[in-house]
Amino acid sequence: MAELASESVSPGTGLRLTGVSAAYRREQVLHELDLDVARGELLVVLGPSGAGKSTLLRVVAGLQPATTGRVVIGDRDVTALRPGRRNVSMVFQSYALFPHLTALDNITFGLEVRDTPRAAARDRATAAATAVGCAHLLGRRPGQLSGGERQRVALARALVREPDLFLLDEPLSNLDLELRTETRGELKALHSRLGVTTVHVTHDQTEALVLADRIAVLRDGRLEQLGTPDEIWRTPATLFVARFVGSPAMNVVPSGGPFTPAGAPAVPAGSRFGFRSEAVRLTTGDGTDGTVERVDVVGEDAYAYLRLAGGDRIVARMPAAARPAAGATVRATVGWADTHVFGADGRRVTVA
Amino acid sequence: MRPDRGRRQLALMLAPYLLGLTVLVLAPFAVTLALAFTDYDLIRPPRWTGAGNFTALAADPVFRTALLNSLLFAAVAAPLRLLIALGLALLLHRRAPVAGPARTAAVLPTAIPEIAYGLLWLWLLNPLHGPVNQILRIGGGNGLTVFGRTPPQWLTDPADARAAIILMSLFTVGEMFVILLAVRRSLPTAVYELAALEDATSWDVLRRITWPLMAPVLGLLLIRDAIGSLQFSFVPALVVTDGGPPPYATTYVPLFTYRAAFEYLRYGYAAAATVIMLALTVAAVAVQWRLLRSFRGR
Repeated sequence: MAELASESVSPGTGLRLTGVSAAYRREQVLHELDLDVARGELLVVLGPSGAGKSTLLRVVAGLQPATTGRVVIGDRDVTALRPGRRNVSMVFQSYALFPHLTALDNITFGLEVRDTPRAAARDRATAAATAVGCAHLLGRRPGQLSGGERQRVALARALVREPDLFLLDEPLSNLDLELRTETRGELKALHSRLGVTTVHVTHDQTEALVLADRIAVLRDGRLEQLGTPDEIWRTPATLFVARFVGSPAMNVVPSGGPFTPAGAPAVPAGSRFGFRSEAVRLTTGDGTDGTVERVDVVGEDAYAYLRLAGGDRIVARMPAAARPAAGATVRATVGWADTHVFGADGRRVTVA
Repeated sequence: MRPDRGRRQLALMLAPYLLGLTVLVLAPFAVTLALAFTDYDLIRPPRWTGAGNFTALAADPVFRTALLNSLLFAAVAAPLRLLIALGLALLLHRRAPVAGPARTAAVLPTAIPEIAYGLLWLWLLNPLHGPVNQILRIGGGNGLTVFGRTPPQWLTDPADARAAIILMSLFTVGEMFVILLAVRRSLPTAVYELAALEDATSWDVLRRITWPLMAPVLGLLLIRDAIGSLQFSFVPALVVTDGGPPPYATTYVPLFTYRAAFEYLRYGYAAAATVIMLALTVAAVAVQWRLLRSFRGR
C-alpha cells in the first residue's frame, strides 16, 4: 500500500483511458474510448441508459475486461491487474452491503481481508463513518437502515481504504428526491474536502451539472462531449448533448423554415437551429405566429407549448404571471445570440 | 349463493388431498400409535400391554445397536452429504462450457431407483472383482493397496460395511445440490464484485460472504437430511449388507422395524420402534423450527 501511494504521488493524471473498448456478450458496448481525468477531479459520466456508462466504470474497476486499449490510474497501467490490485473503491447502485454484517463490519471488511489489525480498522472505520455522518449507525445491520443510511455506510466503506480512485455507480438513484438533493450537496462537499479523483456515473443531468468538475456525455459507447458543466450547457458539441442536457429539452427547428432567429446570418443548408425554452420571447413585434397548445405551470415558471405557423413545435419558458392562455395566438421570437446551429450531421456549426 | 359456491369448489378441490392424507398418513399414524401399546401378530387380536413394548425395546440390545447405528449414520452422513452438495453447487453455479453436463451428472445418481442403486453398489463394492477395490489395488502387489494394506472388506467387516453405507449415500445429493445451486445463484453479484475490489481471497469470500449468506438454508438442509437419513438408510442396508455383517453392524432402526414386523410378525413391537423414530423426527423438526424463527427474527 505504502509504495503504491508513493508511486502515484506525481501530480497530473488521475485516470487515463486510451482506446478502451469493451463488449458484453459479443456486442460491443464501448468503442475505443479516450478519456483523461485530472488528479483530484470529479468527472461525471452522463448518458441515457444503454450508453455504456456502467460498463465504463466496470472496465476501470477491472470487473469487466477491456477488449482493447489501456487503463491508467495515477501513473500505474492497471489494464492487466485484477480489481483488488487497482486500489479503487466503488459505490454500487444497490450499495452491495453485506446483509449479515453490521455497518461497522461492512466498513472494515476491506481492511480486514487485507489483514489490517482489528483495532486500527475500527478506528479508521469510525473516522470514515464520521466523515459521511453515519457514526451513530455502526452497530446496526443493513436491514435496520433506511435507504439514505445504507448509502452513507456504502460511502464510508468506499472511503475507508483511501483509494486512488473513487467510482460511484448511480449512487443517488435509489433515494427519494429530497434526500437525493441533500446527499448531492454532501457528496460535493465531501469531494472538495478529500480531493480524491472521482468518476461518478449518472443519467440525471441536474446531478451532473451540480456535481461535476467536468462532464463526459456518453452515447452508444462513444464520447459525445467532454467539458465543464458550463461548456456542456452553453456550447453543446452535438444535437444529442443539446437535447439530453436541459429540461425541457432544447427546441430544434430546421433552418430555412418560417421560424428564424432574429438577426441570423446565412447558415449552411440542412442545418438546424437549437435554442432553450428560456430564450424564446413572446412579442408583439417581429416573430412567427403560433398557437398555444398547452401551458404547464411549475411554481413561479410556466412552460407554453407552441405550435408555430409551418408546423414546428417549440416550448417557451416565462414567469407564471406572464403566461398566455391555452388556445391563444401568440408571436414568438428568439435572439441569434441564444441560438445554437447544428449541421446536418448533428455537430455544432460555428457561424461567424 | 356466491360465497357458498366458492366454498363448495374449495372443498371439492381439497377433497383428493384430504382423502390421501387421511387414508395414507393420518390413519396409519393413529393405528401405529395404538399398536405400539399392544401385542399383535396378525393372527390373534391385539392385546393391550401398556408400555410393555417400550420397556422391552429399551432392554433389547439389537434395538439399541440399531438406534446407535442410525444416529451414527445421521451424524456422519448428513454433514458429509451437505458439504458435498455445497461444494458441487459452488463449483458449478457459474456459466461455463462444461457446467451444464456436470450439473446433470451431479443430479443423476438421485434419479436412479433405490433398489437398482443398491444392486449397483453391491457390484461396485465386491471385495474381489468390484471396481472400487480394483482401483484401490492399482500399484500394489498381491491384492494389496499401494500402501501395502488390505483393501477394505466392504461387505464383511463391520466398520468397513458402515463406511460403505455412508459412501453410497454420498452420491445421492441431487436434491440438496439443486437447492443450493439456486440459493447460490440468488445471492447478489454486486456483493461478490465488491469483495473482488477489496482483493478478498476466495477463502475470505467463502468464509465471510458465501457461508454466512447461505447459513440459514444450510442449517435447514442439514436437519432435513438428518431426518431423511433415518429413512434412506433402509434400502442399502436391506439390499447391500442385509443388516450385517453379523451380528448387526448395519442394522438401522427402519430395517429393525421391518424385520420385527414382516419377518417376526411382532407388529406391536415394530410400531413401538416406529414411534421412537417418530419422536426423534419431531425433536429434529422442533430444532429446525426454532432455527427458522431465529433467522426470521434477525
